Amino acid sequence: MANERNYYTVDPEGKLQCMKCGIPLVKGKAKFMYLDNGFPVELPVCPRCGFVYVPEELALGKVASVERALEDK
Amino acid sequence: MQIEERGSTHVYKVNRISKEEIDTMVERCVYEDPPFCNAACPLKLDTRTMLGAVAEGNLKKALQIYEKAAVFPLILSMGCEAPCEEKCRLCEKGDGIAIRAVEAAVARFGPVSRQDSIFRTKKKKSVAILGSGLFPLFLAGEVEKKAYPLTVFCEQPDLDGFLRCETGFLDSDAFAQELKRLEEKDITFVFNCEFTEAFLEKQRTAFDVLCVSQEVLDGLAPGCAFDSDLMICRETCLVSCREKGVMAAAFGAKKAALTVDRLVQNLDPSSNRGKEGAVASRLYTDLSEASALSRTPVPEGGYTAQSAIEEAGRCIQCHCEECMKSCSYLRHYRKFPGLLAKEIYNNTQIIMGDHQLNKPMNACSLCGQCTVVCPNGFDMAHVCHLARQNMVSTDKMPLAPHEFALLDMLFSNGDAFLSRPQPGFEKCRYVFFPGCQAAAIAPETVKAAYEDLCERLDGGVALMLGCCGAICDWAGRIELEAQTTEFLARELSKLGDPVIIAGCPTCKKELQEHHALQVRGIWDVLLKIGLPEEAHGLDRPVALHDSCGARGDAHTQQAIRKLAQQLGCDLVETPYAQDRSPCCGYGGLSAYANREVAKEMTEQCLARSEAPYLSYCMACRDRFARQGRESRHVLELVYGTDAGTPPDISEKRYNRLTLKKELLQEIWQEEPMESKLDFQLEYTPQARESMDERMILTDDVVAVLTDYRLTKEAVLDEENNLLIARKRIGNATFWVKFTKTGENSYLVHSAYSHRMQVVRRNG
Ligand code: SF4
Ligand code: SF4
Ligand code: SF4
Ligand SMILES: [Zn+2]
Repeated sequence: MANERNYYTVDPEGKLQCMKCGIPLVKGKAKFMYLDNGFPVELPVCPRCGFVYVPEELALGKVASVERALEDK
Repeated sequence: MQIEERGSTHVYKVNRISKEEIDTMVERCVYEDPPFCNAACPLKLDTRTMLGAVAEGNLKKALQIYEKAAVFPLILSMGCEAPCEEKCRLCEKGDGIAIRAVEAAVARFGPVSRQDSIFRTKKKKSVAILGSGLFPLFLAGEVEKKAYPLTVFCEQPDLDGFLRCETGFLDSDAFAQELKRLEEKDITFVFNCEFTEAFLEKQRTAFDVLCVSQEVLDGLAPGCAFDSDLMICRETCLVSCREKGVMAAAFGAKKAALTVDRLVQNLDPSSNRGKEGAVASRLYTDLSEASALSRTPVPEGGYTAQSAIEEAGRCIQCHCEECMKSCSYLRHYRKFPGLLAKEIYNNTQIIMGDHQLNKPMNACSLCGQCTVVCPNGFDMAHVCHLARQNMVSTDKMPLAPHEFALLDMLFSNGDAFLSRPQPGFEKCRYVFFPGCQAAAIAPETVKAAYEDLCERLDGGVALMLGCCGAICDWAGRIELEAQTTEFLARELSKLGDPVIIAGCPTCKKELQEHHALQVRGIWDVLLKIGLPEEAHGLDRPVALHDSCGARGDAHTQQAIRKLAQQLGCDLVETPYAQDRSPCCGYGGLSAYANREVAKEMTEQCLARSEAPYLSYCMACRDRFARQGRESRHVLELVYGTDAGTPPDISEKRYNRLTLKKELLQEIWQEEPMESKLDFQLEYTPQARESMDERMILTDDVVAVLTDYRLTKEAVLDEENNLLIARKRIGNATFWVKFTKTGENSYLVHSAYSHRMQVVRRNG
């Protein structure tokens, strides 16, 4: 779907490998969940084992600020 | 060890504070009470703001303020009896402010703002005033200001004659200025009138409300009953005034104008009037810095603009700021407690929507300093504490700000907990309870103290390493607090319900509150049994910081002073000492909820003296040392130990475990069970530093790596060759970036966490 809404997209750009499966991570669909709220996102995921990677900048930036906002709801 | 995260959809109400209770509390704060000069003015002139504007040289703004109270500023300022002046607080130190003379200069030299009365939409009901003199003049000004179509009937042949009546004290310049002001008002004048019965009756049909001068009233309705609060003769329904004098006329006109308002709305004139006239003020003003001053002399003909500015500059702008001066938390949020308390209470009542006051509610250190410094004992700590409990009870309290501290408490009363009678005793007369912070920050001191107590006290001294429960109390977690109390009570009873020797004033207070046992401070015990040989003070002056845990406990404050004296300490007096002492920033979990505020608290403590700090709470010792100040706990001086550089959060845990292990081995000859790691971890300095900042423990990193070694789940970032693994622990996911340095060894480059859960989704 072209007009699907994602809150955030991170493209692995072929630079991330799943160590367990030995294959590159690809851009895949994922969901953040916190305090009964869910947010669709696109993150680097392993197409085989399903490992979802949350980069440091994302965790400390966007994710942290959304967490703070939800905590005060 | 886990604390359950709250849900976000629970909607129910709990009221731990009632609206009435909060209103009574809020009432205590006198910040919003008017200054004494203002309170004494029947016209409610905002004297303080006006004087402030004059002091800044802004006469235009000053005149705008003055005109709100005075419709004819020159007449009022030149004729007013100035009841405000004798109420000025500066009278207690010298001359009060020459308020009336400043007002006169404002009226004379203040640039008049554009009058736009012509463009105002007029009201429908019409008003007439019959007669002349100060009351009809002022009333005309007030009624015109309210935008009623107004007609003034007078005996005089012209406006000049009307204005001259009862204003003989004006000089010609002032008269000219007020005449101009009168001319600019939107009033219809009818001159050369004769006030006969027939004339009156005619106007009764033509106007909705009739007002008359005292002379006209006496002429037409002699001896009628008159209500001088409402300014009305009810019998004839005439609005009037029976008193003479400038202030009487001005105040009478204000009350009369309100009566006019009520009459046109067909309401009883007494309804809905609020507080009129002069009031009593409870405002508190600190005069300690105001010196005995004398008035700028008022020359014949009044102040020039310049001398008025000078005189107004003497006004100290009475405000109550006692709490703001002493509490950096209140200064941070720039709100006086009355308002902040109300907002925090409202925050607890929100069911749906943003709880914007969560952060301020959790940033107060619950230290109680405000209650001591406030002249009315305002208790902000009580408000914030109840609000936290309320939020927890309604499941609206975010767990994030307090989770680390709560888990730390569970750790203190779990893995790091130790409770043993002295070897050779089954039950003990005493138990030493050093407090969780002492074990974390100064384990050597705890050990030395325990050994000393065992040696010198009879009847057996047990040891209990754990947390007193202050942490969950501060977090507003009532259930957890009850569980903690129960747990400690059980352990204490196993030891034979001994007398508790507390090493920390907060523990002492907390344990006293929850356990029916005798609790003493170790300082009292030491005063009784004398100092050990190794005890000695520092060789330079030290500033004593009183712990907020000892607020209201004069006995402890004095005992510490005596102890310091016996140690040979040269104590430096600091402002805000004993009961007035500020919090170091650890209290109330401030440092977890708002690091910035907590830092400001620490800085405020340290600003009191340049000297090294001596404290009797380990948390204070720790925060001062972290801030770079030489800082010692009194027990370090007693036992000749030095806890040195403050530990980071992981070291604090490690210290507690190690202390427990060593004591078990050395004193109780027990070999603790230890699970040895089968791999080794090293950290880059940056990793260690940022972990402390992000509240990530080495234990968390170990858990991630242990998991990785089992599952081999990780990502390789080819850009920098770092491996990245993760594990969900409790309510957060922890990520570790590392490299392999050997078969079973790793170097950690970074660690981070988030509370959100992340899952794959299809479609
Ligand atoms: S000290 Fe603070 S809380 Fe107390 S009355 Fe003054 S402004 Fe209000
Ligand atoms: S010092 Fe200023 S604000 Fe205070 S009472 Fe006097 S005139 Fe009013
Ligand atoms: S931090 Fe202390 S002084 Fe400041 S408001 Fe809270 S309890 Fe009062
Ligand atoms: Zn994989």
